[in-house]
Amino acid sequence: MSFSKTNVTRIALLGMFSLFLSFNIQAQGAAEGKQLFQQNCNTCHNLDKASTGPALRGFKERGPWADQKEVYKWVKNPASYMNGDRTGYTKGLQQQYGSIMQSFPALTDKQIDAITEYITAPIVEKKTDDDEPKNGNPSKNEAASRNALIFGIISLVLAMVALILMQVNNNLKKLSDDREGILRPEQVPFWKNKVYIALMALVFFVVGGYFVAKGAIGLGRQQGYQPAQPIYYSHKVHAGINQINCLYCHGSAWESKHAGIPSLNVCMNCHKTINEYVKGPKLYNEDGEEINGTQEIQKLYKYANFTPGKPWDPSKATSPEWVKIHNLPDHVYFNHAQHINAGKVACQTCHGNIQDMDVVKQEAELSMGWCINCHRESKVQFNTDSTTGNKFYSIYEKFHNDIKNGKMDSVTVKDIGGLECQKCHY
Amino acid sequence: MKKLAIVTAVVASVLSLIGCGGAHGDNPGQAYMPDMYYSRAYEAYGYNNVAGEYDSLRSRNILYNGMPVIGTVARGESFTFPIPEGDSGYARAASYPSPLAGMNITPAQMKEGERIYLINCAICHGSALDGNGPLWKGGEGPFTSAPRNLKDDYTKALSDGQMYHAITYGKGQMGSYGSQVKPEQRWWIINYIRSKQGGTGADTTAAAAGAAGGAASGTDTTKASN
Repeated sequence: MSFSKTNVTRIALLGMFSLFLSFNIQAQGAAEGKQLFQQNCNTCHNLDKASTGPALRGFKERGPWADQKEVYKWVKNPASYMNGDRTGYTKGLQQQYGSIMQSFPALTDKQIDAITEYITAPIVEKKTDDDEPKNGNPSKNEAASRNALIFGIISLVLAMVALILMQVNNNLKKLSDDREGILRPEQVPFWKNKVYIALMALVFFVVGGYFVAKGAIGLGRQQGYQPAQPIYYSHKVHAGINQINCLYCHGSAWESKHAGIPSLNVCMNCHKTINEYVKGPKLYNEDGEEINGTQEIQKLYKYANFTPGKPWDPSKATSPEWVKIHNLPDHVYFNHAQHINAGKVACQTCHGNIQDMDVVKQEAELSMGWCINCHRESKVQFNTDSTTGNKFYSIYEKFHNDIKNGKMDSVTVKDIGGLECQKCHY
Repeated sequence: MKKLAIVTAVVASVLSLIGCGGAHGDNPGQAYMPDMYYSRAYEAYGYNNVAGEYDSLRSRNILYNGMPVIGTVARGESFTFPIPEGDSGYARAASYPSPLAGMNITPAQMKEGERIYLINCAICHGSALDGNGPLWKGGEGPFTSAPRNLKDDYTKALSDGQMYHAITYGKGQMGSYGSQVKPEQRWWIINYIRSKQGGTGADTTAAAAGAAGGAASGTDTTKASN
C-alpha cells in the first residue's frame, strides 16, 4: 500500500482544516457562552467572587454538578430540583446565600453547555502592558519652576554684564576727561551713589509691597488648599473615569444649602461589590508616592465595619472625618440649590475640574470680588416653559417685556438683586 | 540705630508674609480673624468647638448623628410604604400598587424622573436602560456583577411594587437607594422606566391586584420605610 504525494497533501490539508474548524467552533461556543453568561448569570454570579450567588469557576468539582444533566435540571427549575435533592447540597447553598436561584426555563441544553464551556475555560493570563516604570508623577509645576530658575540666572548675568559695562564706560570717560584736561568731581562708588540707592529702595518697595499686598489679600482665603483626607478618595477615578454624576453622592446640592457629604451607605452601594482597585490608572499622592487603591477601599471597609462576603449592618458604621476644603466666612450665606438648581451653574464653575483631580484642591479664591464678578457677568436663564419653568423668576416678567420691546438687551444677576448686601451678609 | 531697627522689622515682616505663601497642601493658610472664618456657631459638617475643645459634644458623651426618628414622615411626604425588607417583603410587594397608577403624570414629573434616573440609576443600568452603564461597560468596568437590563422580559414582568421594593431596600448586588431618592421620586423613576420599556401588561395587573394586597399589608410596619 502506497500513498501518492498528492494524497498525502490532501489528507494533511483535510486534517488541518478539520482542526481549524473544531477550534473555530470551540471559540465560537465560548464566545456565545460569554454572552449568555453576561445576559443571564452575571447579575448574580461572578466567575471568581462570591456575589449574590456563589463564584462559578470550578463549579464542576462541587456538589452534584459533575453530571451535566443535573446542571440542566437545576438551571431550568431550581425550586423543584432542591425539593428532590437528597444530598442537601443546594439547600445548604440557599441557607448560605439567603435566597434561591431564579429559574431559566427558556435556556436550551446547548446554551447551558456553552455557558459551562465559558465558565470552565482555562484562565488566559492577560499581558500587563502598564509595566513600564513611571517615576513619580511628572508635574507641570516642576518644569515651570525650572524655567523660572533659568530666567532668573539669565537676567542676573545680564544685569552683571550691564553693571560691568557701565563701570568700563565710566573709567574710559574718566581717562578721556583726564587726557583732555576737563576737571570733574571724583566719582562716588556705586554703592554710595544716592541714585542707585534710591532706585534699589524703589525696586525693593515695589516688589516687597506686591508680595505684602498679595499675602495680606490671601489671608483667610484658602485658594490652593489641598489637604490629605482620611481615605485617598480620587474624584478623578469616580467622577472622571467612571462618570459618576456629582449629584449621585452630593445629591443635596440640588435642593439644599449644603452639597452634602455622602454617608457610607452611598459608598457601599457600589463598594460592597467593588472591593479592589485593579482596572484604573496608577494613583499618586502629592509627594509622588504610589497609592494602593485596594488598600484605600479596605480603609473604607474599616470605617463601614464591613467584611466582604458577609451581610453589612450600616448601623455599626462610623464616619470618616473628611477635611472640609471650601470654607466661607461665617458672615457669608451661600446656597448650593440656588446656584445649581435655580441658576443652572455647573459644579465646575466654582470647584474647578473636579473630575480631573485625584486629591481635591480649592481652585477658586472664593473671595467677595470673585463672587461679585460672576454675578455681574452671568446671564440669568429664564425658563419660560410653563411646566418646568422656574416660578421664582416669574416676578421678573417685566424684564422679558423690556427685552421684547427693545428697552434692554440682556439681564445680569445684578439686575435681580445680585448685588444686595443681604444676599450674602445676613 | 532706630532707623535700622525699623528697616529690619519691615524686612522681617515682609519675609514672613512671603514665607507663609498662602494655602497649599495641608496648610489652609492664615486668617486674620479666625473667629469669622471658622464658625463658632454649630455649622453643618463643622465641629462643635466649644471652650477650645475639638468636638465638645463627643467629649461630653453626647452622640448626635442627626438622623430622624425611625418612621418619621417628611414634610410634604404623601406616600408611605408599609412593606418590610427581605425576600418575603419583596414577594408581598408584587401586589402593591403604584400610587401613580391611573394618575396623569405631568411632563414635569416625567422629566424629573428621567433626570433622577440618569443621576442615580444610569451609572449601572445605563442611560439606554440596557444594563450597560459606565460602571459595567460590558464587563470592562469595575463592577463585578452585570446590572439588570431594564428592558428584558424579567424586568418587564416585575410589578411596580417590586421595583419600588428593590429601589427602597436594594436587591442582589444593588444597594438601597432609600437615602438618595425620595419615595415620590422612586415612583417617577419607575414610571420613566415603564415608558422606556414600551408596553407591558405587568403594571396593570399589579394595579388590579393592588386593592387586596394593599389592605393586607397594613400590619407589618415595624421595619417599613417612610
